[in-house]
Amino acid sequence: MIVVALFALPYFVPNRFYLRLVNEMLIYGLLAMSLDVLLGYTGLLSFMHTSYLGIAAYIVGLFLKFVCPSSLWLAFLVGLVGTGVIALVVGWVQVRTGGLAFALLTLAFGMMYFTVVWKWYGVTGGDDGLMGVPHPDITLGPWTLANSGDSNGIYYLSLLIVMLCFVVTRRIIRSPFGAVLESIRENEERASFVGINVRFYKLLGWMLACLLAGVAGVLFILFRGYIGPTTMDAFAGAGVLMMVLLGGMGTLWGPLVGAGLFIYIQDYISTMTEHWELFLGLVVILLVLFMPRGVAGLSDLLRRGGKE
Amino acid sequence: MQTLISSGADIVFNSLVLGGVFLIVAIGLNIIYGLSRVMNLAHGSLYALGAYFGFTIVGSGLNFFIALLIAPIVVGVFGLLLERVLIAPMRERPMIYTLILTYGLMFFLDGLIKYLWGNETRFIELPAFLNQTLTVGSISYPSYRLATLFGVAGIMGGLSLLLGKTKIGTTMRAASNIPEMVSVLGVNMKLVHMGGFVLGCVLAGLAGVLAGPLFTVYPIMGHEMLISSFVVIVIGGLGSLRGAVLAAFLIGAVQTLAEFFITDFAMVVVYMMMAVILVFMPRGLLGEGKFE
Repeated sequence: MIVVALFALPYFVPNRFYLRLVNEMLIYGLLAMSLDVLLGYTGLLSFMHTSYLGIAAYIVGLFLKFVCPSSLWLAFLVGLVGTGVIALVVGWVQVRTGGLAFALLTLAFGMMYFTVVWKWYGVTGGDDGLMGVPHPDITLGPWTLANSGDSNGIYYLSLLIVMLCFVVTRRIIRSPFGAVLESIRENEERASFVGINVRFYKLLGWMLACLLAGVAGVLFILFRGYIGPTTMDAFAGAGVLMMVLLGGMGTLWGPLVGAGLFIYIQDYISTMTEHWELFLGLVVILLVLFMPRGVAGLSDLLRRGGKE
Repeated sequence: MQTLISSGADIVFNSLVLGGVFLIVAIGLNIIYGLSRVMNLAHGSLYALGAYFGFTIVGSGLNFFIALLIAPIVVGVFGLLLERVLIAPMRERPMIYTLILTYGLMFFLDGLIKYLWGNETRFIELPAFLNQTLTVGSISYPSYRLATLFGVAGIMGGLSLLLGKTKIGTTMRAASNIPEMVSVLGVNMKLVHMGGFVLGCVLAGLAGVLAGPLFTVYPIMGHEMLISSFVVIVIGGLGSLRGAVLAAFLIGAVQTLAEFFITDFAMVVVYMMMAVILVFMPRGLLGEGKFE
């Protein structure tokens, strides 16, 4: 029913602003879901998961702007391969450690990407960001369906791709591979005793999470046509973490809901106050203290309450 | 030749000063981690809070040394509150929750700092005798920076006396290495965790006041220091105090040199170094958990 509602949305919402808001929710939902693969299923914490959205967005932005402005799917491929290569190198270093050191490394590498993007004025545009990225047409084989600059076109593209990613990821998580990831989350030592190559599977989990974040990044740049360094700063990283917490870790659908709520609240609060940081911090603290399982935890509670 | 000597001396002293500040912040973080296995991501914000308290105290007309005394105590009391209300209840849950909680706390404190003191860069006024330049031969150097070095040496001396020679210190070291045994012997581990956390916060506050006049006081100073002290304790070995000393001065030197040659990307060099060290020595230079 939700899917039908989402498909019908452009016909019922006259205001382009709300359509774009839902579009942003979808993209950040995908990002939050990708962090959930890492945090909720593999038990690894990444503080700066927006980095990989940002990296993909910058790569695609630069590709569209300077190499080939017309081909959407080629840009998609370039963005994912580029993100994958960076994630592979960094992940290879990171999986050597576990738990705490892993989390600290994601923070350090995230800050490194941020510094590079922020200071490398000649390529990334520094503070100003990457502006005027062209919008390629959305094509399927020989047919041109819409332009990605059109808000309906990019909305349907985002919706389809996010749904596809959700279904595929759920399939992967429910496969034996997903069970291996969960065994690593539960107890790394025992997992290695039964013959699981822990480092290898951690790296696979990491790659899956980063590639999904990369898909979100490609959609992001197509949707916005602009990216600046603040998209990848520590604050944005905390935002994604909060989406996952808000929705509930380890459920996949929870973070999608969490992202929707987060974007809505952010949009609402930031019009009222400039001290959004204060609220974000406070909400994260309260969530961890009192509602560690998020919205998913609440719905479990309701379901159990109904049965009894 | 003259300029070569003086800029060489500058680099050496600057590395020591930077390393010294890293050391005080990182060793606080490491003491907390070593004693209670809590990684406090708000540690950098406590450092910033110390600097802002120092700024307010000096701004209200009191002497810099009074600020150096009072600000860390205020941060310590604040830390006690945080430990009781937020950190202690997290002890039974997986570590990830503590990390996320203190991450939220970091943003909350940063927001609070911006709310109370605004976004502007602030300066801590120094007493006249610290605010001059010492000249020896062709080398001249700001006297406050030299004083900082003595301050760092004093703090480290005091800390090693506390940990090495007193009963409290012996208990702390033992509690870090074999917590079960120590708690069986009748030591109240809650008090140990609390004491360690407060000690770490006091050190962060102290470093904040010391560093205020060096690097100026601004809202995101805590973020930068947090990242640097992570690099220090990850390279030195989590929970290892000697490792932190070694790593702090190493990072201080590398960062100062990198800033001298490639200003904008200095931090990239530091992160790269950390990555390389971790690939070959995943547990840091001196291994994890050597609390001595």
